[in-house]
Amino acid sequence: MAEEDEILMEVEAVEAVYGDDCIVLNRFPPHLHLHLKPRTADVDSQQFVEATIELRAGPQYPSDPPYVGIIGSKGLDEERQMHLSNSLHDKAQELTSCLMLVALCEDAVEILTSMNHPEGDCPLCLYPLVPEDSHSEVQPFMKLMSCFHCFHCECIVRWLTWIQKQNEASSGTSNTLSSDVDEENVLASGKLYLRKIMGSTAGNCPVCRKVFLAKDIEHVLNLVGSHNADSDVYEKELVEKVLQCDLETTRRQEFEAILKLQQQCGGLIEPPKNNVLYSRISVQDLVREANEMMNVEASEQQHTNQIVREEPESSSSSNQASRRACDARTRHRRGHTGIAEPASGVPPTGSTSGHRRHSGTRKHGKNQSRWQAKPCPKE
Amino acid sequence: MTTSSTQTRKALSKIAQLRLQKELEEWHDPPVGFKHKVSDNLQRWTIEVSGAPGTLYANETYQLQVDFPEHYPMEAPQVIFVPPAPAHPHIYSNGHICLDILYDSWSPAMTVSSICISILSMLSSSTSKQRPPDNDLYVNKCRNGRSPKETRWWFHDDKV
Ligand SMILES: [Zn+2]
Ligand SMILES: [Zn+2]
Repeated sequence: MAEEDEILMEVEAVEAVYGDDCIVLNRFPPHLHLHLKPRTADVDSQQFVEATIELRAGPQYPSDPPYVGIIGSKGLDEERQMHLSNSLHDKAQELTSCLMLVALCEDAVEILTSMNHPEGDCPLCLYPLVPEDSHSEVQPFMKLMSCFHCFHCECIVRWLTWIQKQNEASSGTSNTLSSDVDEENVLASGKLYLRKIMGSTAGNCPVCRKVFLAKDIEHVLNLVGSHNADSDVYEKELVEKVLQCDLETTRRQEFEAILKLQQQCGGLIEPPKNNVLYSRISVQDLVREANEMMNVEASEQQHTNQIVREEPESSSSSNQASRRACDARTRHRRGHTGIAEPASGVPPTGSTSGHRRHSGTRKHGKNQSRWQAKPCPKE
Repeated sequence: MTTSSTQTRKALSKIAQLRLQKELEEWHDPPVGFKHKVSDNLQRWTIEVSGAPGTLYANETYQLQVDFPEHYPMEAPQVIFVPPAPAHPHIYSNGHICLDILYDSWSPAMTVSSICISILSMLSSSTSKQRPPDNDLYVNKCRNGRSPKETRWWFHDDKV
């Protein structure tokens, strides 16, 4: 049947365009999974959204439009996911009786491109990542590569510094908290500390608790410094260092260039309300730059980048958490459903609600103490 | 103990103030079952909780007292029930609440709202209005007014 041949060729065309991002589950009738990114996201740090969509055609395709569904996404809250899936559904209806697989994919990419900006508030300070009015100062923000959660640089650095301080205080092994450490020593002791935790988990995203790599933090910390008390002056210095690092400067230039180009070409992305997303920086960039600085073997860097890059594909479960958490409106649901999952192997006791009570580890500053597994406190 | 209680009294950092102002704004539209009692003290909030309909605590109201440390939200706030506290297997009669997110599972991405929702869900899932088995012992130990965050919980090290 000629039509079947055409459909088979169409599937081949999709494969040709999307390569490894296209998984063919069935050739006829076509059943495909496509991992789609915004058009402007060749540079990972400029990618804030992605989606995996499913196209499942029936035997009557193309007279019957295929089923279109989103099976995973990052950086998209429910509203934006809905927008994507509704648009694709409409498009499929509109194209009924045409071969539409390629067109649907292109449409999805187009929509992702138009949505390729982080949305909502920084989960740490609760102020918008991108100011809503163009008069406010734009603060640099960054993205965790594993889950696409975004934070103001200042906010995440403050938090990383804080947990590091807590860890040091509770392990009691470090004397690096003194305020008069000179710059070189700060870096050296920071590395020493991080070497200890290398290979183990390094940190958890404050929103979804997905682990990010020790190496990621190491280089963030290398660039921004790592110790000292939390005086305002010190924090200001941290942020200034982030802002001044060559990488950030390059990033801004690149982004402005891209934006200019886009505007000239009729604008692939129009940032919302005339805001320009000109400053952002990702952990991966920092890793890359720091690796270059430190002259780390190329193979090792490859390894890091691969790990970081592969993660997004494997995480439809983190997607749920991020969907929940990304949406500022549903923030109040987060504590229970999104975040409160046991960090250790201690099962929750007493009820089925998923909280851990009367169990687990508890650290407060220098008071290293623990919850016991059974009823609470004693002396 | 003395040191940390001074610490809790330390004034809010600039960052904590900004963050709390933002949270306060969002409390104009509070989560279902909660009411923020307006006061001009940013560092201590009093929140009224209504037991969810159809649970053991339906038609009951309780007061939560939330105290914010200098470095909120890096540090968790101290959250207790103002006695009389609801009878619950994880709530002591002095109002201290045994809930992981208030201590080791705290994350700075959590908010007063998310804590409140967790506490309400803890109440709602309860099947008996009972105090923790060690209630008397614990409450007795806390007579000097220490905070649950300062409590030296019975501790054993990794080897035990
Ligand atoms: Zn922030
Ligand atoms: Zn995350």
